[in-house]
Amino acid sequence: MPPVHRSVVYDWLRHDKKFPHVWCPGCGLGILLGSLLRSLVESGLDKNQVVLVSGIGCSGRLPVYVDVNSVHTTHGRALTFATGIKLAKPELTVITVMGDGDATAIGGNHLIHAARRNLDITAIIVNNQTYGMTGGQYSPTTPLGAKATTAPYGHIEPSFDISALSATAGASFVARSTVYHITQLDQLLGQAIAKPGFGVVEVLSPCHTNFGRQNRLGSQVDMMKEFKRKGMRVERWRELPEGKRAENIPLGVLVDRDLPVFGQSYQRICDTAGKRGEAGK
Amino acid sequence: MSGKAAQPKPAQKGESKVSFFPAWCKRCGNCVAFCPRGALKRDQWGYPVLADSDRCTSCGLCEMLCPDFALSVGEGGLKPAGAGAPRGSRVAPITSPERLAPEPNGGEEDGNG
Repeated sequence: MPPVHRSVVYDWLRHDKKFPHVWCPGCGLGILLGSLLRSLVESGLDKNQVVLVSGIGCSGRLPVYVDVNSVHTTHGRALTFATGIKLAKPELTVITVMGDGDATAIGGNHLIHAARRNLDITAIIVNNQTYGMTGGQYSPTTPLGAKATTAPYGHIEPSFDISALSATAGASFVARSTVYHITQLDQLLGQAIAKPGFGVVEVLSPCHTNFGRQNRLGSQVDMMKEFKRKGMRVERWRELPEGKRAENIPLGVLVDRDLPVFGQSYQRICDTAGKRGEAGK
Repeated sequence: MSGKAAQPKPAQKGESKVSFFPAWCKRCGNCVAFCPRGALKRDQWGYPVLADSDRCTSCGLCEMLCPDFALSVGEGGLKPAGAGAPRGSRVAPITSPERLAPEPNGGEEDGNG
């Protein structure tokens, strides 16, 4: 894939008023933002066709920096707003950006039901394994035994696997990548945007300010090197013996299937009801 | 991929291939740490510099891994507003001078900051 010309990417940024952005130095969200812009430009979409919806959290700031239609909504409800936008204007490309706490804790219900309905929405879930903005409290994706502000002796709950959760709930496209595997992330985001139906891309991102510091994982460079060490193509990961799987992270397209899309079924119902209404006059 | 927009020309030898926008740089060090050829180094304030231009292959990894859009590889890039400003100078209200290191040639701290 040839690199997207950077002047195009800057053209999609609100670079004259919002920069430098608020994220910590080295935060993976900035890398994801660049990746998302490159995939949008690669997809050949017009700025007016794209809607970015976000909830609350560090990831909630992301649409603020992009010069497209953007909605910064309440905590966990990015998918509900996106549902309304998509059903009212089916021609728009709706992308939601959520954090792990936003998507699986506060908005956990919305995530599974959006996946079950298989709405034509792309959900980018940034997984930094903690609540970064509020000071490093544990989230549903904090690993067992990890330290957090609210778990100073180690977390005692097992964690959610966001990709497995959305795949089980019925999403038609599920992929996982990290901000270190940047070319793969570009491709996966492009595929998820192009895929009809609910597309989930779980993006592992370092929160060195809170999660990394409390667990002594070093700087974001060390955390990204850890992604590099653990990350493995899902095809190779599936060939591993059962005992060795836990120490590696499968990356790539985990689920890609064709399922009925909610928007199309909804349109059919609208047409049927409209005809009956006219016949009854 | 011939139908694509014109790609930036490969830089000539001795020409700077990487442009830095220090006003946006937060000195996180991703570009220096992940340069596959070790062409980037940090200067005394922690900002990246292209220490060895001959080793740079213009792969663009530093640009893609920069969270702050603070550098670009090759030529032809549109400079973001305020991002090309010299360090330590007050150019735009969004650029806080406190976080900017002093100009290397100036030698002294920017008193206005």
